Amino acid sequence: MSQHQISMVLDLNKCLGCQTCTLACKKLWTDGDGMDYMYWNNVETRPGQGYPRNWDKIGGGFEDGKLRPSELPSKEDYGQTFEYNYAERLFQGGMQAMPQEEVRNTPNWDEDVGALMLGENYYFYLPRLCNHCTNPACLEACPRKAIYKRAEDGIVLVDQERCEGYRYCMKACPYKKIYFNELLGKAQKCIFCYPRIEKGEVNACAKQCPGRLRFVGFLDDPESAVHKLVHVHKVALGLFPDKGTEPNVFYVPPFNPPRTGSYGKSVLEDPRMPMDYLKYLFGDEVVDVIRRLESELHRSQNGGTSEVLQLLIGRDDHVRYQIPKHEDLIQIQGAHKA
Amino acid sequence: MKPLACLLFCSAAAFAQNALDPTAAEWKSAAHMTLSLQRTPPLYPTDAPAAIEVPSVQAQFLHTAAGNFVRLEWADKTHDTTVLPKAERAWQGEHLVTQSAATDRFSDACAVMIPAKPVIGDLNPSLQMGDADHPVRIFVWDSTRGAAVMEASGRETTKRTGQSFPAQGQYANGKWSVTLQVSDMKAGTPFAVAIWNGSQQDRDGRKYFTIWYRAQ
Repeated sequence: MSQHQISMVLDLNKCLGCQTCTLACKKLWTDGDGMDYMYWNNVETRPGQGYPRNWDKIGGGFEDGKLRPSELPSKEDYGQTFEYNYAERLFQGGMQAMPQEEVRNTPNWDEDVGALMLGENYYFYLPRLCNHCTNPACLEACPRKAIYKRAEDGIVLVDQERCEGYRYCMKACPYKKIYFNELLGKAQKCIFCYPRIEKGEVNACAKQCPGRLRFVGFLDDPESAVHKLVHVHKVALGLFPDKGTEPNVFYVPPFNPPRTGSYGKSVLEDPRMPMDYLKYLFGDEVVDVIRRLESELHRSQNGGTSEVLQLLIGRDDHVRYQIPKHEDLIQIQGAHKA
Repeated sequence: MKPLACLLFCSAAAFAQNALDPTAAEWKSAAHMTLSLQRTPPLYPTDAPAAIEVPSVQAQFLHTAAGNFVRLEWADKTHDTTVLPKAERAWQGEHLVTQSAATDRFSDACAVMIPAKPVIGDLNPSLQMGDADHPVRIFVWDSTRGAAVMEASGRETTKRTGQSFPAQGQYANGKWSVTLQVSDMKAGTPFAVAIWNGSQQDRDGRKYFTIWYRAQ
């Protein structure tokens, strides 16, 4: 276990589904050879098939302390990567810009489709990245001991020298957030922008987020927003807590607005989306979290002040991010020998 | 150390201009021996049991002035290999150059393991990648990624040396035939063989293996 744990909280009520985070990550980390299909950060519409397709239904993680069997997603499960006929379209004209192959699945295939409840459509966006788990199933599964969790910040990394591309980690990860670079024969994943974090700079996905929905800091720092949201106000939850890996990325669940025409009723009385679906994603505790958020909202609407809502608004960077520089952190730990 | 489970293995001296070619004439006249393959038991609780699809491998050995060669031949209904485009701009790409075509395929492969130090007496190193006192060298040929020399001194210690070695493989009529030039494999050297069947998701310790033999 690491001495400190860096963490991210994402307020799903603020996510626009704009994929700016996805592209910030893509441009910074996964535009190399063999990485075309990888989105270390992706945003998927929920309910929906997810990326890779059905990742939440194919096992992984732990059951009774033991790794649970799973499957390797195929390239098509991640979604095709294809080109358009731009050359013909631009230089010959007279035709539509079309993909150069039949498209059957893409990483964002069912965007904004969602589902129906009582005739009303509902959906929300779920941005996903590696959860840098406290108990990483990938690390447990790797026979090469190529995966390690850094003591100073809890970031989970794949040693590209030791990795032999066996892909036990891909199977073991219940979030399917490890990818295989076939050209290099290596497993690759989100590195939580550790070169930025070490300089006290926030992750690219968070920095670029127009919705300002990401909070980053150390979970064990009582002054950090992530600590307050997760441990003090208890309004943020990990994804699929039953997978047994103790994820360190947390979500403020979608507030689940009441249905049309149910003004005055509580969110829990007349929810727009089935509470069972939120319980499926975030566990039973999500009901208490929504109750807490609703009570904060009422207080604010009645002229009171809500520290939680103020924090969640998070207008400025210094409100959302508390990241000490790596050298300072090491000195604080007393591990630094001058 | 494991007690010697040794069967005499035929070797042949011959002119070997083309010994690296698995179809070369000298291999046709070289003596051969059929070695039984065992399947490793499931190593991890998440491993599904695997059927025995490759029951045996035929081995030949040529000791020539040009070097020491091993030829392995085994039947495999599925030809699990791919030609990978070269990754030249990984991590620095200005735009996408080459793509990963698949995420879930594994390659057929084979390997010859020999002791890294001369064996004293009739005891061989542990079959599980040697042991601390008896390290091994492993000559791996992967149908997709080519040849690599690895070393180990016990299970989970296997690592690449960064060296390669001459090897050639060919798949025809449902059979792999692979020649490996293993310079350290002299007459009398103990060796063991491993075969990986890609279609069974073989990699790592999930494979077929033989007991120790000696090239005589």
